[in-house]
Amino acid sequence: MSVCVAVVGHQNNPLYIQSFTDADDALKLHHIVHCSLDVIDERVNNPKKSGPLLNETFLGLLYPADNYKVYGYLTNTKVKFILVTTDLDVRDASVRNFFRRFHSAYVDAVSNPFHVPGKKITSKTFAGRVSSIVNSFGSSTATE
Amino acid sequence: MGREVSESCLDILLIEIVSSYTNGFFAGRPELVAQAVEAVGYQVGNQLCERYTMERPQFSDHLEAIKFICTDFWTNIFKKQIDTLRTDHKGTFVLRDNRFRWLSRASHPDSSATIPSALRNFAESRKMHLYFPCGIIRGALSNLAIPCAVTADGSALPSCSFTIIIRRDEVSNRRDGL
Repeated sequence: MSVCVAVVGHQNNPLYIQSFTDADDALKLHHIVHCSLDVIDERVNNPKKSGPLLNETFLGLLYPADNYKVYGYLTNTKVKFILVTTDLDVRDASVRNFFRRFHSAYVDAVSNPFHVPGKKITSKTFAGRVSSIVNSFGSSTATE
Repeated sequence: MGREVSESCLDILLIEIVSSYTNGFFAGRPELVAQAVEAVGYQVGNQLCERYTMERPQFSDHLEAIKFICTDFWTNIFKKQIDTLRTDHKGTFVLRDNRFRWLSRASHPDSSATIPSALRNFAESRKMHLYFPCGIIRGALSNLAIPCAVTADGSALPSCSFTIIIRRDEVSNRRDGL
């Protein structure tokens, strides 16, 4: 299973992107992340279509695709989290759980006084936490 | 997240930030001190906002964001809410805290001699200490995509009021967008 996570700032500037994959598809995953930014913009700017989802941080499945799933999450501070996974039968609940843990890791990372807001997150601790969250996400979906 | 902060340490730190800027780095240049202290507050507000909005639904308008500052945000920092919130519905908000914690130990000019220069000094130093909370509010709001200017008035101790002016262009943009 391949997973890619990305943090994108409020001006659509990349803050963090990391793929966890065995195959040689890192570039493709990055491409998917890039594409999904438009979908998030559309959802946020056209509240009618998304309706009840508007006020929620979890944006759900962004668009259907054959061999991967893309989920989005928008914080109150307009920072986007994007998760691309090739695992096709993931549950919404486990994705929500993933984003919740990811969000708290992110908050801890940007609360570092040496982090410059709006710049890339270079913290090794953050990278470590992300990979452990991704691992537990992978194993939770594998056992279901 | 049950972390605690020593209140006296924070008080002392704040006093020290102000005094080291006033007497050290920018001695004799109060406008630079104000900027520097405000900038420290800005970053703190920015980061606190990230944390405190974690479990919240999105804000639909400015008023909701300001209400969040008055209630949850203020409670997290000062253990109490803002006492009164007034607005002219044109982008100006006045937040009043009847017992502002960070000034609760500031010396009161009435209790000392009424020498004009001493009075002015009290007012000056109080103003310097208020740039930090101003920066916190501005940082929090700008992280919620609301650019604004914040000023504080601490002339009536122990209450303190903060005036938030949301930048005009932002207000009109929002309206055009809708």
